[in-house]
Amino acid sequence: MQPLLHLKYRLLAPLVLVLGAVIGYPLAFSLWVSLHNYTLTAIGQAKLVGAANYLGLLANPSYWRAIGNTVTFVLVAVGLELILGFGLALLLHHRATPLRHLFRSLLLTPMFITPIAVGLMFRFLLNSQLGIIPQALKALGIHVDWFGSRLALFSLALIDVWQWTPFMLLLLLAGLEALPTEPFEAARVDGASGWNMVRYVTLPLMRPVILAAVVIRMLDAFKVYEYVYAITRGGPGESTETIQYHIYRVGFLYFRMGEAAAMAYTLIIVVLILVILLFYVLRRSAT
Amino acid sequence: MKGKLLITILLALALGIAACGPKPTPAATPASEAETPAAAATTAPPAPPSETVTLTVIMEQVPDYDIVAQLTPQFEAKNPNIKIKFDAMPYDAMRDKILTSFLAPQATYDIIIVDNPWMDEFAKAGFLTPLDEYIAATPGYDFNDFVGPVREIGVVDGKVYGVPYYNYALGMIVRQDLFDNPDYQAKYQAKYGKPLTVPTTLEDYVQVGQFFKEQGIYGAAMQPQRGYKVFEEWKNWLYAAGGDLMDAQGNVIIDNEAAQKALELYIEMYKTAAPPDSLNWGFDESLRSMAAGESATMISYNWMLPTLNKPGGPAGDLAGKFALYEVPGGKAVLGTWHWAIPHNTPNKDAAWMFVSWLTSKMVDKQRVIMGGAPTRVSVMTDTEVWEKGFGKGYYETVLKILEDAEPLARGPHAEEIINEVGTYLNSAVAGEMSVAQALKAAAEKTREISARP
Repeated sequence: MQPLLHLKYRLLAPLVLVLGAVIGYPLAFSLWVSLHNYTLTAIGQAKLVGAANYLGLLANPSYWRAIGNTVTFVLVAVGLELILGFGLALLLHHRATPLRHLFRSLLLTPMFITPIAVGLMFRFLLNSQLGIIPQALKALGIHVDWFGSRLALFSLALIDVWQWTPFMLLLLLAGLEALPTEPFEAARVDGASGWNMVRYVTLPLMRPVILAAVVIRMLDAFKVYEYVYAITRGGPGESTETIQYHIYRVGFLYFRMGEAAAMAYTLIIVVLILVILLFYVLRRSAT
Repeated sequence: MKGKLLITILLALALGIAACGPKPTPAATPASEAETPAAAATTAPPAPPSETVTLTVIMEQVPDYDIVAQLTPQFEAKNPNIKIKFDAMPYDAMRDKILTSFLAPQATYDIIIVDNPWMDEFAKAGFLTPLDEYIAATPGYDFNDFVGPVREIGVVDGKVYGVPYYNYALGMIVRQDLFDNPDYQAKYQAKYGKPLTVPTTLEDYVQVGQFFKEQGIYGAAMQPQRGYKVFEEWKNWLYAAGGDLMDAQGNVIIDNEAAQKALELYIEMYKTAAPPDSLNWGFDESLRSMAAGESATMISYNWMLPTLNKPGGPAGDLAGKFALYEVPGGKAVLGTWHWAIPHNTPNKDAAWMFVSWLTSKMVDKQRVIMGGAPTRVSVMTDTEVWEKGFGKGYYETVLKILEDAEPLARGPHAEEIINEVGTYLNSAVAGEMSVAQALKAAAEKTREISARP
């Protein structure tokens, strides 16, 4: 007697069921919520509103500001993390670097701290009354208002850089150590200088690893919430209101879940567009 | 193939971002059902439970909670069948925990505390038990002894849903020694042609602030932090300028001339007399600034005074040099916490027994003597409280403040209105928007929010 399903489907079934329960159902439910005027204080009165929650976002300046802030944050943070991470990976990969194993361990520590603790830590480190950083800068005659309206978003991006450059470093270092040695030996025989080796040999060979590292970090950076919650609460004004924090405010402070779910879905679209764009640019440059 | 696999993984990751948003919740009880009179619709007080009942109480982790926790063993000794379990947590964690408890088939919390912006929202949603009949059935409770404006916050559509726990009305705390300093008095007299006194108008407040700044002390430790904080501080300025959020008919008037004047003066004070880089300051930073002797005045919670004047407290040698006054203009912003009983607890009678005991005249007096923020008139006028507490002058001033105070906003959308208006105010202080732009945007947003069902 033939089994009802082929073995491969039977083996897949448990995973599909689990994913369906933990991802599929919440996603489908949040899509349903986004199409209703679903408010937690009046769940019984939720009515179908169609695309009204989505259309309402078009005329919602706070939403667009949050999207703009998030994109800026991601570009600044991930851009700096890539540059610093790659530079550090090259240094740690170089055999002449003294104590490189010790530095490798030390440099990885920030990413093992929970982000909310990092947020609180920097809230005090950069605090104008108590912070050691403003005090040290003051001693040098430098005055920086870290959480003023001009710098606040950049300060949050720098905190992200402090915490997540090690992640970039880890991936890029693993990539560097896995590269074949022959192209480097050939380049050396041809008389390539240090910079030319990096520019024409290391970077092209590392492109897939860089791509993976940047995409993973970008997706993670889009979820930025903890630093905003712990330090600025989106202020001054709306200058550090990121989309995740905005969704939290609308959904969990004001209980308007329909609108919050619609925002979450638009975030998915923004993220997907960025990912596709990145793939397109990198593939085109590869050809 | 690899690309497709990667895209699939990325899609799953991206979708995961949205999946951490809203989650399914059980249906709430319709408001009409929850508004039925409480189970104990009798004239007799509720009887103690025949079997042991454990009541879970959600609390904010603040000094007033410690006092309640210290008093509670007295209640448990008198009522051996009722055990009290506290779940104390930071403010930020409370609102969603309380809501989740409301939406559960059976409440997680038998007793909750309700911040004033949540009262109308929770009561109108049918989440709270009306307490009128319990109050009427409790001998000697004297509900009208609570100061009027404090008491009224717990009343929604003519029914009582909360009884006062403690107040956080705002007052002006000053360094009295600076105002009494003959040198400063002479300088101020010479410069402005009038004596240096604690300001009672906005114009005087800004002038006094700028004067102290010239003497090397910041004039005001302000709290322009986005959201609740800036609105809580600025609305005192708004009252002093003759403005309000809404008029008596419920029309939004936060963009009128009085509001314009109040915000212009507030920003002038921030720019010319407040500590630099304080755009994100809340009450803890302001308190620190006062305690460090850095600032001459602050508009903050009235019970900050005993904290500052406490020997060996945060102000060190400055303890005893601070004094409390009414805010300029007299009318202050009122904040309160109320005790309430969720609609879905099966232990309503036992919950009321605890709440009514704790807020009774006798126990409330003990609570205030131990340092709790007062809410009852009889307690604030009690000579024993004056002697054992923080002195006659303090309680008299607090009573005056409470009698002429109003909450930031009322209605089912108060939380959102407060946060949104506070965002525009902070934008104006930060210079991101002009005063007129910020107030116009705040008014439009308030109208939009108020128009929602």
